[in-house]
Formats: sequence, C-alpha cells, structure tokens
Amino acid sequence: MWKILKTFFVIEKSNKKNIFSCLFVAVFVFSLIFFLKNMDIGNSIKEKSDEYQSISTALGKFQNIDATDSGNGSDLYKNLVRQQQAVSKQKMALKMNLPKVFLDTAIDLANLRAKAFDMEGFDDVAIYLPSKIDNQLDSVFYQYIKKIGMPLSIDSLSYFQFLPYLFGVLGSFWFIFMSIYSCGIMIEEFQHTSLIKGYPITFDKYVLAKCISSMLIVGVFLLELFVCSLPLIYFKGLGNPSYPIAIFNGIFEVYPIYQYIGISILYMICISIFTILLSIILNVLLKNMYLTLFLELLLYIFPMLFPNMISLVPFNPFNYLNFPNLLNGQMIEFAKPVVLTSTHGLIYIGMSITIMIVSVKLFLTTGRLKKV
Amino acid sequence: MWAYFKFEFFQFIRNKKNIAIYVILLYFACYYALKIVPTYNPIEKVDVSEIEARYLPRAEFLKNVEIDKGTHYLTSYAVAIFSEWNEYDKARLDALKKHNMKEYAEATSKWYKYSDEMIFPDVMNVFYYNPGYYTYGNNYAKKDGHYAYLYSASRYKGYTEGKSNLSINVFEERTALQTLQRLLDSYLPLILIVSCILFTVDIVLKDRRNPTLLQGLPLSDWRKLIIKGLVSLLGSLIAIIPLSIGLLIIGGRNGFGAFDLPVPIYSFGKDLFSNILMWDYLVQNMLFIVFWFLFIISLLLLVSVLLKNEFVNLLVGSMFVIAEFIYFERGLGAVRNIQWYPTSYVQVGQVISGYRNYLYGSEALTFGSGLTVMGLCTCIFLFFTFLISNQKKFKLL
Repeated sequence: MWKILKTFFVIEKSNKKNIFSCLFVAVFVFSLIFFLKNMDIGNSIKEKSDEYQSISTALGKFQNIDATDSGNGSDLYKNLVRQQQAVSKQKMALKMNLPKVFLDTAIDLANLRAKAFDMEGFDDVAIYLPSKIDNQLDSVFYQYIKKIGMPLSIDSLSYFQFLPYLFGVLGSFWFIFMSIYSCGIMIEEFQHTSLIKGYPITFDKYVLAKCISSMLIVGVFLLELFVCSLPLIYFKGLGNPSYPIAIFNGIFEVYPIYQYIGISILYMICISIFTILLSIILNVLLKNMYLTLFLELLLYIFPMLFPNMISLVPFNPFNYLNFPNLLNGQMIEFAKPVVLTSTHGLIYIGMSITIMIVSVKLFLTTGRLKKV
Repeated sequence: MWAYFKFEFFQFIRNKKNIAIYVILLYFACYYALKIVPTYNPIEKVDVSEIEARYLPRAEFLKNVEIDKGTHYLTSYAVAIFSEWNEYDKARLDALKKHNMKEYAEATSKWYKYSDEMIFPDVMNVFYYNPGYYTYGNNYAKKDGHYAYLYSASRYKGYTEGKSNLSINVFEERTALQTLQRLLDSYLPLILIVSCILFTVDIVLKDRRNPTLLQGLPLSDWRKLIIKGLVSLLGSLIAIIPLSIGLLIIGGRNGFGAFDLPVPIYSFGKDLFSNILMWDYLVQNMLFIVFWFLFIISLLLLVSVLLKNEFVNLLVGSMFVIAEFIYFERGLGAVRNIQWYPTSYVQVGQVISGYRNYLYGSEALTFGSGLTVMGLCTCIFLFFTFLISNQKKFKLL
C-alpha cells in the first residue's frame, strides 16, 4: 500500500494537470480580489443610496398622501415611507460616522420590513425590496452585533472578511471544478491496463490509494486559498476572525467567521471525496472522461431545472452540493415543504460516500478494466 | 489530404463526447423553447392598462388646472409638458382600439423619444423610467432606462418604415427571429464558444491512444493540425443544427418574424440609435462567431502542441471565455483600451448592437475592430503553431 502511494506521489508531482489546476486556483483568488475592488462591494454608503432609490420607486406606485399614523394612506404606504426615512438616517449616520445610530436604525428597518411582508398589496412592490430571507439574515446579524457590542466593519477586503466571501463564491463552483479535475481520474489507467494488473494489490486498495493521493492535491488547493489571500494582510489588514456572519441552518443564527470557514472546508472536503468516487465509478461504467463530466454536471443542475424534485427527494445529495446557497437560505425559497439544512447535507453526502465505497468494493474489480 | 479530412471527420462524428454535446445542446434548445420562452416577460410591453393609468390622471389634471401668478413652478412645468406627452398616449390608445398597428408604432416611437427627453435630463427626480428597471440592487437603473427607451423609439420607428407584418408578438419581441436576436445579445455566443472549446479540446491528443496508426501517413504535422482545425470548425458549425430545432418550436408558437424587421444599433459618440435589418444583423453575428471559432481552435491547437494535456486545454480555453467578468466595469472604456483585448468581444451580439460600447463608455468596440483583433490573434497563434510543428525535434504526440 505504502509503495503504491509513493509511486502515485511521484506521478502526481510532475503531472501538468495538477500544476495547472494550482495555477488556476491562484488566478481565481487574485481575480476575485480585483473583482471585489472593481465592484466596490462593501461600500455601505453606495449600497444605502441604491436602497433609497429602490424604495422611492416602490413609493412611486402610490399617490402622495398623508403618511402619519392618523393619515388616510394604506398601511403598506406608511410602512414604506418609514423605511425610506430609516434608510436616509442610515446614510447620514454613515457620513457622520455614528455607528450606534446606524445600528439602531438598521434593526428598526429590519423590523419595519418584517412587518411589510404580510401587508396587503406587498406583492406589487416585492421586487424593490430585499427578500424575506435576506431581511431575516440582516435582522439576526445586526441584533447580534448590538448584543455583544462589536464595532461594525465595513472593509470587505481585510483578510478575514475576504475569506468567507472567497469560500462562498468558490463553494458554488467547487463541485464543477472538482468534476472537471477528476473526470479522467481512471482513464489513464485504462490505457495501460497491464500496469494495474501487474500491481500485487486488490482493486479497492488501488482505488483507495488513488483517492488519497488526489485528496492530498485537494488539500494543496485549500491551503493555496489561504496563502494567496495573504497579501491582503499587508494591504488591508487582518480583520476580525470572530466577526459574525448570518446564516440559515434550520433557524437563522450567526456564526463567527472561523466557524463559517470551518464548515466550508468540511463541505469542500466531503464534496471532493464524493466527486472523486463518483468519477471513479462513472469512469469504469462509461469509459469516457467527457461523458463522465457531462453526466456529473447534468446531475448537478438537475435540481435547479426541476425545483419540485428537491421536496420530492430531499435525500438527493446533489441538492446540497451548492452549500453557500444552502447556508444563506436561498434553497428554502423554492423548496417550501422541506427545509434543507447544512447538517442534513453533510449526513446525506457522507452516506452517499459510504454507499459508493461499498459498491466500489463489491462490484468493481480489475476484470472490469478493459482497454478503451 | 481529402481522405485524411474524411477520416478525421468520421472520427469526430463518432466520438462519444461530441455526440453527447450535440444531444445536450438539443435538450437545452427544447427546454428553452418549451419552458423558458413562455415565461418571457418584457419590461416594455403593449399594455393598455399601463397607458391608461398614466394618461387618465394627467388628462384630468390638464382639464381642471388653473394657472395664475401664485401657481407653483412645477405645476406650470407639468402643464407645459403633459399636453404633448398625453397626445402621444392618446394616439397609442386609439390605435390599439382600432387595431391599427402602424399607427400604434408611430405614436409609440414618438412617445419613447419624448419621454426620454423629459426623464433623462431630469435632476430633480420627479420623473422615472418604467419601474421595471429600478429593481432592488440595480445601481444603473436610470442608464438602463435611457438605453431601453432610445432603443424602443428607434425600433418602433423602424416598424413604421418597414413593410413587414406587425403584431403584438413583434412589438414585444417574441417571434422566433427576435428571440434569436435577444439570445445573441445574451448568452448564446458563450454557449457556442464553450461548445467549440469542448469539440476541439481532444482533437489533437486523442491520437495518443493509437499512435502507430497515424505514423505511416504521408502528411506533415502542420497539415495534420490544419485539417484537424478545419474538422472542428465544421463540427462547431454543425452545433447550430440542434439549436435551430428550438427556433422552429418557438416559430411554430409565436410566429417566425421577418428578415426585414429592424434591429437598433447604438453608436456611442452621438448617443443615437440607427436601424439595420434583421438579416444583416444575423449575418454579422454569424461571421463574428466564425471568427471566434477560428480564434479558439487556433489557440487550442497551439496549447495542444505546446503542453500536450487535455485538462490544460480546457482550462486555457475557459479562461478566455470568463476573463471579461474579471475586469468588466461600467465606463472602463474611458480609462483603458479594452478594444485591444480579444476577450472584450466575447458577447458577440452586444458588441454588434453597440450595447457593450454603452456599458464600457467607449466607441471603439465595433464589428470591424473585433474582426481585426480576433483575426490578428488567430494569425499569431497559427504562426507559432507552424513554427513549433516544423521543428525537427517536434513530435505531434
């Protein structure tokens, strides 16, 4: 076993595929930094101006009338006018650097919005306002900040603030990246079947060794994410690793950044093992790396094309592969009856991994490998 | 040489991967035509209730208002502009009642032009474009509205001047050809370019499996590469066939439209639109996409002979497709010469219709400059491939 692992390491070390994948990951991190800088994400004043504009448009749907409590406007109209006032107040608090006022107003605004969702005629103005889930995430986030009295951070490019963003974006593509990376994992061996047949070990041990060596490369990718973001410490500072992030996991709650990163890494490792095993099985069955890739991608987008399938088959591991969407609650928007939580996701992916390992051990043997 | 072409082509067509791509394209074309097209909901609709909601209160206001010394200046302003504005709205309503499409198009064109003249320079924020543009999180709603209103004005003007049959479906851009035009403006070019990458990615390296078969062929490596390039160009063009099935389905449901419908083209310097005909627009797009195919194929041939790894081919190819997302920013054209990056042209339809120029704030992204840049890069890639493949030490596999 150890000997074959050593052989694999020697092969993987000089494999062009690995070198270029590492390069690609590095390029991805740097481009994301530039993208964030270009888009000016995290500039609160700009975001608040946009919110102000959206609410004004929503108010454009109403006649201008008395919006005081005793006025004759509808409830929704009064609510929107108050939202507009709150946003203006926030804008001013940002300009005058009054974090406490900003925080209090943010909580008021979230409460106002929460009330608006049930009011009559809300559907007409829904596109101008954040969704219910976004609002709840906001609400939880600001309340937490207020409770523990932490200063609000608005620099999205400091090291620890950038990492969750990076993992969030990369996490959505991770399965796609891994399937491209691993789709040909066994094909090269098929081209020289005599090589495998010559090894004095069983096929499942061989697969295990292959998995371990590939997972080590995945480890290198993950390490690279941290290393490539290091320049941000020099340019933008370290940031606060226990700064909260609002997430949805059955209930709305906040995780500190380090916990969010931890969950992301756990998910990414599970997804990597899942994809590598799936690729091995599909490689043996289909004997073509592109067919493997296409089938994996089809399985991945299937729940998006047919959202009804999510509530019908909640244990389908492919529902959970886009974990950033899961964590920010977007999955519950179209899968009403089932609440997909990240813990369930890990369990289902873990179970699928076990099933695949068992089937590799039971059904796949060297006899199945024929020259392609 | 012809025999080798046929040999390569049959290998290409029988390749499981290529068949899978054609099947997937066919599936998505049908899915799009059957599922997504019926849900298309344009912002600029033909909507009587929307016109009435604007027209009736203004008419009522004009009827009852009394102007004297103490009148607020905004009231006098409103009286001054609403009367002309309402004339156009009334003409639109009357034309719709009479089902006279030509008159509707004429009044609508004037309405859009006049509305834009009123709304765009308005700094007091008393007028807005159609609320459909001001969605949550859209920072450029006013600019989007400006573009769309000028675009619609020019489009409706084109309808009055043309001879084609007009209908509500034509006005709302729902016919098959107009759907194709909208798709070319969005992600259809990307789909075609990605398919081309997938077709070309293994065309050189697949021979590794049977190297002895090809060693006896009396052809130089350079010629083999050129023929392989031609085969994958032909293969990429064939990808249009499964996609056109979707077009047929849309045509059967919403009508095909006509080749002499107008397509507005934006020119940045004058902030103006001019119309070209649909067939002209489609031919330009087709030509541009063929240039993209040539660019991608020559690039991948070069990478294939340089690095000899399929995975690397795939990564390099897709980098060129997604590169624009990294540096894209509105108004970037004013500070950087984005017209020299081939990746700026990846949204083929938007480059031709001038929308990319509008976004970049540049006037240099044109059909001509695109073909020049892409052609130049193709020649450079092919030149290097030629140099490498003619080296004495070089082995194709």
